[in-house]
Amino acid sequence: MRRVVITGMGAIDALGHDAASTWHAMREGRCGIAPIANIPTDLTNVKIAAEVRDFDAAQHFDAKKLMFLDRVSQFALLAAREAVAQAGLDFRVDGRGERTACIIGTGIGGENTHDEQSRRFYGDKNPRVHPLTIVRLMANAPACQITMEYGLTGPSFAVVSACASANHAMAQAFEMLRSGKVDFAVTGGSEACITVPTVKAWEAVRVTADDTCRPFCKQRRGMVLGEGAGIFVLEEYEHARARGATILAEFAGAGMSADAGDIVLPSMQGAARALSAALADARLAPQDIDYINAHGTGTPANDPTETRAIRHVFGAHADALAVSSTKSMHGHALGAAGAIELVAAIGALRDGVMPPTANFLDPDPECDLDYVPNTARERPVRAALSNSFAFGGLNAVIALKRAD
Amino acid sequence: MSSVQETIFGIISKEAGIDINKISMDSTLKDLEIQSLDAVQIIFELEDHYKITLPDRDPNFDTESVRGLVEAVEKLLAEKAAGTPSAQT
Repeated sequence: MRRVVITGMGAIDALGHDAASTWHAMREGRCGIAPIANIPTDLTNVKIAAEVRDFDAAQHFDAKKLMFLDRVSQFALLAAREAVAQAGLDFRVDGRGERTACIIGTGIGGENTHDEQSRRFYGDKNPRVHPLTIVRLMANAPACQITMEYGLTGPSFAVVSACASANHAMAQAFEMLRSGKVDFAVTGGSEACITVPTVKAWEAVRVTADDTCRPFCKQRRGMVLGEGAGIFVLEEYEHARARGATILAEFAGAGMSADAGDIVLPSMQGAARALSAALADARLAPQDIDYINAHGTGTPANDPTETRAIRHVFGAHADALAVSSTKSMHGHALGAAGAIELVAAIGALRDGVMPPTANFLDPDPECDLDYVPNTARERPVRAALSNSFAFGGLNAVIALKRAD
Repeated sequence: MSSVQETIFGIISKEAGIDINKISMDSTLKDLEIQSLDAVQIIFELEDHYKITLPDRDPNFDTESVRGLVEAVEKLLAEKAAGTPSAQT
């Protein structure tokens, strides 16, 4: 079977506008959660988020292009540019574009556009809706914009599974590459839905924290919304070797499952099945895994359930491996979460550094694994998993191996 | 039965899909097998009906009795009638 490797990585999130600064901040345990600055908060109870700060789209896109881009596509394009530049691939030569898939996850799509146009229509009673509204807000816009930027003419689409969108998208791209359907993929996730109505909607579910995000610890009070994008270039191993590309990590496998249970409450069995499936798909044994980037939302329900799922799958090895939630730093970027978190998993494999779970106070007896509290730890990582467990019980776990 | 009590029983019955006759002041949400999302919906309907805001943190759904909920709503309604600003949202 063909091997798949990652040769390009890009990110933008509350910790930085590129993957390198994101990883640097994660290693430092720096928290990107702060008072909300990009939207008015007079009508919201939630006053904090992990926003992408100091982002001026006009610095990156000309005015004509920008007209077509919701914030979610701006993030996706910026991260894609970084990933493609790092991979050093020109998709417009040798027919590569045709052999490239572009699969991008998003939980919601162009929410800023939707909000802005709804406000004009309902609020301002302005009967004219902008003609580019549809092309900006459609959930497949980030994928489309990336294909157009690079001339990617292979199978391309968006994947939607709430908080697991990025992992499902990357799993799909990986499968296509492994099966030989394509030779390259540009894949990941993007999300930009910190608008007043979306924040209000999250408030109404009563799962958001008012202080900060403290996954797995006793004082955790819920999740904190984030935003951003993570985009990767996947490539067939022999091809990457032959052209002398830097291999960031091997994409070893993916495991997916559905709880078919509650629409919001996670199931231990569903998560455990996705974890086991990822190990089996990657032909890894539980004891091969040194690090798990947890879904770790910081909600009362997720963290003990995820802990039990890890214990169920890993048995005694659960006490030997380290688990951390970087959402404590970059917030919960929903459809981009798995992609931003893959930056953490790749960093752990490459640098032998496990990023911490920040904001950790006291342990919760129900969460009894090694969560790397507050300070990064240096330890070689041979293989890592990255978990995403979405609302609706849709689970996707990615397995990575250190490049050999 | 007070009108607040009657309204709350009605909302619990409708949102959680349970027979109104099974609800008493002493039942806990746990006794009534009300899941977290149903509880959140009940709170939303109460807030929307009375134009009040119930405390956001730690509502303690597992142990809270229907009586606790009725009392919390009555307290907020009294504050609202007295013009306490915190109850105005």
